[in-house]
Amino acid sequence: MTLHPLSSSDAAPSLRPQQARPDTAAAYDSTWTEQSDARPPEGLERVMLPDGKIYVVLAVVLIIWIGVVTMLFRTDRRIDALERRLDQDIPEDPA
Amino acid sequence: MYRSVRALVVALLSGALVAGFLGQIPQLDILEQSARNLYFHVPMWFALMMGTVISAYHSFRYLQSGDRLRDIRAREAAWLALLFGLLGIVTGMVWARFTWYVGSGKWWNFDPKQSMAAVLLLIYGGYFVLRDSVEDPDTRGRVAAVYNLFAVVTMPFLLYILPRQLPSLHPGGEGSPAFTQTDLAPAMRWVFYPSVLGFLGLFWVLYTQRVRLSWIRKRLRREPEL
Repeated sequence: MTLHPLSSSDAAPSLRPQQARPDTAAAYDSTWTEQSDARPPEGLERVMLPDGKIYVVLAVVLIIWIGVVTMLFRTDRRIDALERRLDQDIPEDPA
Repeated sequence: MYRSVRALVVALLSGALVAGFLGQIPQLDILEQSARNLYFHVPMWFALMMGTVISAYHSFRYLQSGDRLRDIRAREAAWLALLFGLLGIVTGMVWARFTWYVGSGKWWNFDPKQSMAAVLLLIYGGYFVLRDSVEDPDTRGRVAAVYNLFAVVTMPFLLYILPRQLPSLHPGGEGSPAFTQTDLAPAMRWVFYPSVLGFLGLFWVLYTQRVRLSWIRKRLRREPEL
């Protein structure tokens, strides 16, 4: 198997302006050409942004779910208190 | 009534969850799929509004009648309004963090809509601080009811009027978004309105549960204390 060197016609045309440009212009390059416009997301954003930010919706629904569960637990605690009160009251009443 | 509402709530919210995640939505920059949060974040605020209005109504009736049950209803409605408001503001923070403030790492930037909502929650937090600071149940009921009537007056100002006068990133600042035909895609209306109904129903179910429990507790305590 032989690797064929690129013929001159296959060379990417984007190389040409670089060759034609004088070196003194490189210092005036803006960051626009050197960086991709999207900075790679970091930390939480790497978790939340993929797939069209669908995980933000998941987080929101989970927060609401936690709120509902909190309510459930508080109601439970209130029922417990009522049951304890009933247990206290029944021995007191001889009926 | 209660049971049928409860069944309806379960059906509506289940449907809203399924349709909310699977339904078609318009493709928008920045929002992308997070636009689906509309179905979950916005109903929190509708529930808060309903709660504050219910609470104020019962506070008003308490001042008229002195009926202790009215006071219980006012307190439970305000408590649940505060809960839904907290959920609304936290979900709003998470949503804003990954849309408005993406790349900046900010969770909170004092957007007028958010700040005013936080002020409203503090006002309603004050209602409970005030309640707990008064010993005598009759005085407590009256003082809290008067405070509550003032608190509900601030609600439309803090949630609607003031944020619309200030530059805000929050949508809905221009005109009346609830009544325009262009702000909400028709496909999303079919999920959004049932979801709002479902969460309002959820509020009512939780509210009814808590009122019933509080009423039992009051009757079990021989002394007329809440």
